[in-house]
Amino acid sequence: MSLHHHRWLAEQLPAWEQEGIVTADGARRLREQYAAEPRGGLAQMIVGAVGALLIGTGLIALLASNWDDFPRWVRLLLALGPLAATQGVSWWVLGKGEAAKRWQQEAAALVQTLAVGAAMAIVSQIYNLPGTWADLVFWWCVVSVPLAWVLRSQAVAIAYLIGVTVWTVAESADRSSWSAAVDVADVRLWFPLLLAGVLPLWPGPELRDRPAPGSRLVVAASTLVGLLAVAAYASDRPREPDEAFFWLAMLSAAAVLLFPLDRNGIAETLARKPQVLLGGLALVIMALVATYEYPARELVESVGFALPLGWCWLLLVVVSGFAVIACWQGRYAVLAVAALVVFPLLAAPLSSDTSSGWPVAIAYSLVLLATAIVLIVLEFLGRQGAARIGAALITLLVILRMADADMSLFVKGLAFIVIGLCFLGFNIFISRRRLALPAGTLE
Amino acid sequence: MRPALAIFAAAVLGQWLVPLFGVWQHERVIARGVPLKIRCAAPDPYDPFRGRHLAVRPEESRVPKPAGMPDKGTAPVWATLVAGDDGLSRIESLSLEPVTGPHVIRLVAKWQDRNDDGEMVFVEWPFDRLYLNERLALGADKLVAERFRESQNMVAEIRLLEGRAVLTDVLIDGVSIREVVKQRAE
Repeated sequence: MSLHHHRWLAEQLPAWEQEGIVTADGARRLREQYAAEPRGGLAQMIVGAVGALLIGTGLIALLASNWDDFPRWVRLLLALGPLAATQGVSWWVLGKGEAAKRWQQEAAALVQTLAVGAAMAIVSQIYNLPGTWADLVFWWCVVSVPLAWVLRSQAVAIAYLIGVTVWTVAESADRSSWSAAVDVADVRLWFPLLLAGVLPLWPGPELRDRPAPGSRLVVAASTLVGLLAVAAYASDRPREPDEAFFWLAMLSAAAVLLFPLDRNGIAETLARKPQVLLGGLALVIMALVATYEYPARELVESVGFALPLGWCWLLLVVVSGFAVIACWQGRYAVLAVAALVVFPLLAAPLSSDTSSGWPVAIAYSLVLLATAIVLIVLEFLGRQGAARIGAALITLLVILRMADADMSLFVKGLAFIVIGLCFLGFNIFISRRRLALPAGTLE
Repeated sequence: MRPALAIFAAAVLGQWLVPLFGVWQHERVIARGVPLKIRCAAPDPYDPFRGRHLAVRPEESRVPKPAGMPDKGTAPVWATLVAGDDGLSRIESLSLEPVTGPHVIRLVAKWQDRNDDGEMVFVEWPFDRLYLNERLALGADKLVAERFRESQNMVAEIRLLEGRAVLTDVLIDGVSIREVVKQRAE
């Protein structure tokens, strides 16, 4: 049963209770069993966020005018005054407890977050501090995230996730540059710690709260981008070739793809599971790249460079653990896609430094083809599959192989038309088949 | 006290501590630090202002590599400054080990290249910008570019305490850039 049905059930329960169809205890148990997200969360968040943004921008503009005419203490007062005022407003909203409206919580949290950033930026300006904007973002995030917890603010949580991801990417890029900064933070430690900063909000102390669908996309994208940045950081070793990134990136995408879900989460549609979509997409794109000779050789070599790294083993443990849970939950479609990460590990002992990349590239094409077939077959077996994605993958593989094949343009054109027709026909067939099936049986 | 209020109180404390720590650190340097002047290279004459700040780059940016400096990456270094007859301070020595003294500044060294004088490093100074009001900065581009073409005499005024520096002003021909820009604006 999807969350759409949960919401319908939640809407019917008060009437059923009133009519005596279910008892109060029965209704409570049904609500617990089939929890539904509250409606209007996104609208309230947007209203609160827009209001807060306008006020925050206005404050910054007011402070910026006539700046040089003020002595330093007045400027400090102007920087820290709005912070104190917004903290007072948040305290008032917090004091209202359950009576506080969602938009009030969102607006208070977001304005205070902006005031914190403004205060820190203005202090930097007053003392002409040099440009380490990443440090400012880090401290801004650290001191603002508690507002997301106590005021249940999705906007602040989203801003926090974007902030910590940007910081992680900046630190990783700093380490990779030829003129690496002296004080680069170890993002292998910091990114997981910072990511855990949203745990008090999602899933919360009672492990029941889930991000709204829009926020899930930010959570999934931030996690994936952050993990890729950490993979780049971990790959970069002084005086060593930094070629471990390719496989570490695949492992990172597999970890995001396989992230464990509860029963309700598994039942949801793919559109509401952005971690599956983004993780799977990243993994498939990397696998498609590896169906060419040079990238295939790079990928297999990257396994050898990655295996001595502690971060690689941590990722392997996480991915293995997630895979076991996914297997136990019967999520065979995601397992089939995640299995793409295993192939380079198996191919690594069989290839040497001088061997051609073509055997691996061809084998990877076959593995991708097998993955696509599994996705289609799973759906026909009545399990959670992804027949359309499987068909799209086969189509893409054929197009890629046709594109670099030594054939005339006429033959290629005809082949593309036939493939296109087959793909459209298959989609129509799948649509009709799904209409004939009971709802909620497909991913 | 509810846990939420306790967490909020801790967050508020953190939100004050971060900027106030910066204020305390820099106010201390301004109040007790040694005043020094350092000659600056002219910024890009076509783009001296980057948004709301003037790009400030001390002239002495390439110096001989200190012994023990790694070939790749960067390292913190301690530079001892000495004032010349013109009142401008220059780097006398560079050390990879911490050095104390009223004229010691902590810099970041990046290995760069070698020339006739031997291996050289690029040093990054702990200041690279002077913020100006946007209203003034908007019209200041042309003026500053003109002044640089005429004199090329730009000096950074800093305060130095325990290796930490704070940029207090930038002078063009001995006049504060703020005054120069304000006079033109009026």
